[in-house]
Amino acid sequence: MQSTEERVIMEVIDLKKHFDLTKGFIKKTHSKIKAVDGLNFQVYKGETLGIVGESGCGKSTTGQLMLGLLDATEGHIYFQNEDISAMSQEELRKARRDLQVIFQDPYSSLNPRMTVEQIIGEPLVVHGLASGKELKEQVRELMKLVGLREHQMKLYPHEFSGGQRQRIGIARALALKPKVIVCDEAVSALDVSIQAQILNLLKKLQKEMNLTYIFIAHGLPAVRHISDRIGVMYLGKMVELADRNELFEHPLHPYTYALLDSVPIPDPKLRKEHQLIKGEIPSPINPPSGCPFHPRCPFATEKCKIEVPEYREILPNHFVACHYPLLQEDTNVLPDSGISKVK
Amino acid sequence: MNNELLKVDDLKVRFKTDEGYVSTVNGVSFSVEQGETLAIVGESGSGKSVTSLALMGILPANGEIYEGAITFEDKDLRSLSKKEYRKMRGDDIAMIFQEPMTALNPVFTIGYQLRETLIVHNNMNKEQAHKKGIEMLETVGIPDSDRVMGRFPHQLSGGMRQRVMIAMALSCNPKLLIADEPTTALDVTIQAQILTLLRNLKKNSNTSIIIITHDLGVVAELADRVVVMYAGEVVEVAPIQELFDNPRHPYTRGLISSIPKIHDVVDELYSIEGTVPNPSNMPTGCKFHPRCPLADIECTKVHPELEYISEKHAKRCIKVKG
Repeated sequence: MQSTEERVIMEVIDLKKHFDLTKGFIKKTHSKIKAVDGLNFQVYKGETLGIVGESGCGKSTTGQLMLGLLDATEGHIYFQNEDISAMSQEELRKARRDLQVIFQDPYSSLNPRMTVEQIIGEPLVVHGLASGKELKEQVRELMKLVGLREHQMKLYPHEFSGGQRQRIGIARALALKPKVIVCDEAVSALDVSIQAQILNLLKKLQKEMNLTYIFIAHGLPAVRHISDRIGVMYLGKMVELADRNELFEHPLHPYTYALLDSVPIPDPKLRKEHQLIKGEIPSPINPPSGCPFHPRCPFATEKCKIEVPEYREILPNHFVACHYPLLQEDTNVLPDSGISKVK
Repeated sequence: MNNELLKVDDLKVRFKTDEGYVSTVNGVSFSVEQGETLAIVGESGSGKSVTSLALMGILPANGEIYEGAITFEDKDLRSLSKKEYRKMRGDDIAMIFQEPMTALNPVFTIGYQLRETLIVHNNMNKEQAHKKGIEMLETVGIPDSDRVMGRFPHQLSGGMRQRVMIAMALSCNPKLLIADEPTTALDVTIQAQILTLLRNLKKNSNTSIIIITHDLGVVAELADRVVVMYAGEVVEVAPIQELFDNPRHPYTRGLISSIPKIHDVVDELYSIEGTVPNPSNMPTGCKFHPRCPLADIECTKVHPELEYISEKHAKRCIKVKG
């Protein structure tokens, strides 16, 4: 058994990213969007950490910060004990060999004027790792690895379907033999039958290449399928983080509970009334005081309006930020407060 | 069945492209009964959205129905003039789209757009229309509906815009509501709100609904009956429970088993190999054969008919018996 320090490949400490909203010619800052507002978590070697949340929760910003694509406003991101947020451009460039990304829409992230061969080989060329015959050989290997055929080398991205384009994106991300891959909504735009192909491919590659994934998505079934642990974000904060089964079977945060309950289940026998949470996600420009979820939470009290709940390890490996976590036996009925109950 | 509201018979739709005509809907037949919710399921390129546009008479300029019949009540929709069709849309058939931002007019207020619908279709005056508009917004769960009437579409969130679209679609009490991926662009908690809204509509009125989606979760939540489409054809029709319990077509089976289950985690997902064929280059015989685990030489030659295996359950496959 490794010690915790050895297991951790990335660590995020008090991470914040605030975007300035400016106005007028002199760009005076009049307010801030708190996209990420105080995150703390660790990523273990070889695991898949899922990050879920709805639009505006800051999950994609978190991914970009972890890749060093955005500068953090506050806090630290450690990758193998080195602080990414303090790195120079040159150091970052080196670190990126180990930190790669797969995007949602492989069409807009692949250069339409480059052939597949050039796209997949580009990282190797940029980092001066291969050229000529060797480059071609490596590209061929990568294409085989992700299930593309050799004769497709000279084709352009538009000649591929969505699923195949995602395979190109994956091959490119793998070119530098990275340690960590951030998958930002990597399967969200794909049809179910294709989504299954890509999820299986990602799992296979993880096993073969000992990869660590940070899997950012809003589609909960896919996240549950691929992740070992899952973190739930709401308005720039991590509200809960636990092993996937623990999170799905015993959610402690009322938001997690409602989120899981909202997912339509593909089985007509399990048709039920959803426990709707009222209202919509507030704007991150002016988030609610105290617990960000309190205006929509059926359990909220005065305390929740004033005090920000601490993010803490409430059970072993189960973190939650809530004053009143759902610890009692009877967690499958939320109190009646204008929301519908289980039938 | 005599309470049939809509009947689509052997519908074929083609598009004019630089390479000649491409047919994307190839002989689709189904019917919708009064008060029934029918789901049309399929992946991108299955022709499900084109079918719905054809029903509404709003195909893009390069598209046309070149064969088949659409009968609504006793009217043949293909014989309607443009003006008659326009009257029909809104009065009898209404549609909601995936992204309401593109369906709402950005330069008019919500109130203006709601009132206009009511004035044109229900012969109301402006005041009556305004009152009814507020009422409709309340029915779809918009708080503060008085103020929302004065808002522009961009000032509302995605979920709110979808509610406005639904309010507008329902404002003339249509007999049939066509919902094309109504929740696909929404967050999951908002999706649950909209699905509940549609379910209540189903419960409290006799409106028939056609819901077009790729999400079998949404289908399981709402539909009474399901039509599965693949490559421009209907490959299976079945009542909802029957479809999930006893899917007959290999494509339907694959589709159901390739969804990650939230309550039942497996190590590897079932996946259908390959991709949806290109409409300009369709496989011979059964269109699913290149991806089908059961396909043999016969499947590459014979184009299977849609065959009823029981009163309500049909499949288009020669390999699966019964």
